[in-house]
Amino acid sequence: MQRETRIAHYVVGVLTTLSLVLLSMPLSSPVRSFKTCASYIFDPLAFEGERGYQRLAQAPSRARELLSADIENRRLGEELRRLSWLKSSVESLSIENERLRRGLGLKTPPGRHPVWAHVMERDPLHWYASVAVDAGDDRGLSLNDPVLALSGESVVAVGRVVEVRERSSTVMLLTDQRSAAAAYLSSGTLEGLVQGQDAPHLRMNYINTEARIVPDDAVYTSPTSATFPPDVMIGRVARVYPRDPFLAFQAVEVSPALDSAALQEVLILRARAPSSQAAYPSAAGAGRAPAAVAKEAAAPLVPRRRRAPAAADETDASGAAAKTAVPAGTEAPDADAPEPAPEFTPEEAPQ
Amino acid sequence: MRLLRGTALFLAAMFAQWWWNTHLSYWGAAPQILFTLTIVVAARRGPVAAMLVGYVWGLYADSLRADLFGADALLYALAGYAAGMVRRQMDLRAVGPLVATVFLFSLAYSLFLGVLGQIFLKSFVWVGTIPFLASPFLNAGVAVAGALAWDLGDS
Repeated sequence: MQRETRIAHYVVGVLTTLSLVLLSMPLSSPVRSFKTCASYIFDPLAFEGERGYQRLAQAPSRARELLSADIENRRLGEELRRLSWLKSSVESLSIENERLRRGLGLKTPPGRHPVWAHVMERDPLHWYASVAVDAGDDRGLSLNDPVLALSGESVVAVGRVVEVRERSSTVMLLTDQRSAAAAYLSSGTLEGLVQGQDAPHLRMNYINTEARIVPDDAVYTSPTSATFPPDVMIGRVARVYPRDPFLAFQAVEVSPALDSAALQEVLILRARAPSSQAAYPSAAGAGRAPAAVAKEAAAPLVPRRRRAPAAADETDASGAAAKTAVPAGTEAPDADAPEPAPEFTPEEAPQ
Repeated sequence: MRLLRGTALFLAAMFAQWWWNTHLSYWGAAPQILFTLTIVVAARRGPVAAMLVGYVWGLYADSLRADLFGADALLYALAGYAAGMVRRQMDLRAVGPLVATVFLFSLAYSLFLGVLGQIFLKSFVWVGTIPFLASPFLNAGVAVAGALAWDLGDS
């Protein structure tokens, strides 16, 4: 005990002396240096402690901000998904609106009413032969109704209805080998018969042997066609086949205006009223007054260009139809015939 | 392990002193944790350990103030020494004597600080009325808590 007391006396003496030295020294450079050293030693404790304290103090607010951000993130995610769906819906509606707008601008032949339908099925084994569409008896389709489609701003001929079911139909494409349509070349108004080849291109037969065929000439449906309205574009002349000395006509290869593989929607000109008109309103009549629809229906699809030659008609290649196409040497159409209706082929109008 | 725990407690006490003074000081009144713990150390470990620890803590307290560098070191060391001497006269392990000692030493600390200021700065360093009156009570509370924690640690 005495020893500890003695040590305590020594220690207190030393420490007191040291302290008094520190106190007696003015706050000159040595003292400041010492204090700076002490601050360097002790300040990290205060500095880091302050940082730690700040972090702890901010933890509740940060947790609250994190929760708010999470909630906001979820809300924005849902909003983004909703907007994405809305965008796709708007785009789809825009496309449909454009299609219907163009469809409303069409003038149909007397007694014909346009019906839009979607291509819903193709037969891989008969790619160029036929397609199935989602309109049938319920929308008033019947056999041999002409089937058109939009290619850019033009309406082009696609085929005709060959089978009608309750809610779907089969459309035989022009590229089908059994298909044929009366047509004419715009440059010389030469009549012929466009026939399918079961291939992407078509063949136009029965062109006058004396005719001078211009390459890239446009091919339109003829007024003599019993199926298609007149002046509907079919395609363009791709090349002229070498003349066969045993045939009394020329033939050309026609490139269709619309690749049938790209066909998605078709415009069918139905002749009779649908079995369920209210459930499937036609494009022309959708949302319009019945009187307006009736008035439009009465308007012609195109102005009558010329008188249709008697007995001119399409036929199946199978020969099932009784009538044949315009044969070679048939009277050429009038040279001063009026131009086709701009609603169909504004830029493809024959000269 | 004992050394490690002691070092941790040593640094923790310094941090607590700074943190309380910085964030929990009202009207300048805050407990002098290091000063009080110096007395507690003297009551449990004797004057030598208390003086050494108190001197370092005092230097730390001096580094946090702008004037009188060395005053806290001197007063903490003297408090440890005096508490060690008092320990020989009464049982400072008991809470009552410890609280009384801390209370009196706290008042003495404020007065001695002023005297040191008068000597070395030519002006009496007054800690303020509220701190002067409140610090003894706050220090007594810290002493009780420190003693209880010490006992819990020992047991």
